[in-house]
Amino acid sequence: MKRQHRQRHLILWLLLSPAIAAILLLAVQVRPDAPLNETLPEVLIEEAS
Amino acid sequence: MAHGYKAVTWTPFKKQFDRWMVAGIVLYLAVFVGASTVMQPQGESFTPIQILIRATGTLSFLMLTFILCIGPLARLTDRFKPFLFNRRHLGVTTFLIALAHAGLVLLWYHGFSELNVVVSLFASNPRYDSLAGFPFESLGFIALLIMFTMAATSHDFWNANLGPGLWKTLHMGVYLAYALLVAHIAFGALQFEKTPVYVFLLAAGATLVCTLHLYTGLFAKGRVSRVVAQNWIEVGPATDIEDGRAKILQPKNAERIAVFRNGELVGAISNVCRHQGGPLGEGRIIDGCVTCPWHGFQYRLEDGRSPPPFTERISTYATKIENGIVFVNPAPNPPGTEQQLSRIGAAS
Repeated sequence: MKRQHRQRHLILWLLLSPAIAAILLLAVQVRPDAPLNETLPEVLIEEAS
Repeated sequence: MAHGYKAVTWTPFKKQFDRWMVAGIVLYLAVFVGASTVMQPQGESFTPIQILIRATGTLSFLMLTFILCIGPLARLTDRFKPFLFNRRHLGVTTFLIALAHAGLVLLWYHGFSELNVVVSLFASNPRYDSLAGFPFESLGFIALLIMFTMAATSHDFWNANLGPGLWKTLHMGVYLAYALLVAHIAFGALQFEKTPVYVFLLAAGATLVCTLHLYTGLFAKGRVSRVVAQNWIEVGPATDIEDGRAKILQPKNAERIAVFRNGELVGAISNVCRHQGGPLGEGRIIDGCVTCPWHGFQYRLEDGRSPPPFTERISTYATKIENGIVFVNPAPNPPGTEQQLSRIGAAS
């Protein structure tokens, strides 16, 4: 790859990576009815809620 | 045709690769459909078309994730170089699977609408101001349009007409398409799926792609080579260069140079392939010619010219060997200039 393309490529990923991370975090935050972990004892679930 | 171009030839290796690829796709779809039909969650019933929507959706995302990993992985290990050679076929096939996914979605969810199916896709859910209910289908549609552009211009005709620079820039759009697809899944399937498997797969795939590209971009850049006396760059001991392979130099503020060893001879050429800017120094010498790892374009080490009937030319560089140490003059010769190769062990 030419030097300018390598630089453009890197800049693009420096911008896209945090954007993708933010998208994932936001999506998990707004996710309705987060599934319960059925392996946890009920007491712990009640305490947490 | 106003512009001449040379298509990359369809080799037996490519044909075999395509056969394996199709077999893998059929196997994935069969396993996904079979497993989803057998293991339907209690109280839920998915129709075959809904299962196919999921199967094609997950497959196209997994394939695109893999495609985007090929480039950086091939820079880290030679094992992935064969995939580089066939990345274009993988890309076009991924688009076709994504198109099938979109077609099934439009048919199943919008086919009975009074509106045009595409209008219905954008108009049926107007909650653009809500994250939780965001019309994620529109993100997938835009990603599909970008992938269509990539697939439609993937042929060498477009590379020749647009030029490698513009073509490469245009095809970087696939990274934007990937980000849109992550958002499409994150605000779509992830919001309805109860199993955390989808969350894990999406996060793992996106993290892998981002990490690999950032890692190779930041740390595999290559050290800027030191210019020693009289504008010569020291490459290192000639015997350190593997036979048929190259050592890549990064001169300050200039294009990289690939210093190849062919038996007892050492020569230097530009690291940039004329076809699509592929890294020649990551290729090897096949049939006496330097062969680009991306699409197999070949150049003679002594003059940087493609063997007849091909006409591509790249820059050559002067080399010398003193006390077993290779030196390169970073001033490029005009493309196609014959250059005396240096002989290992010759009196200096």
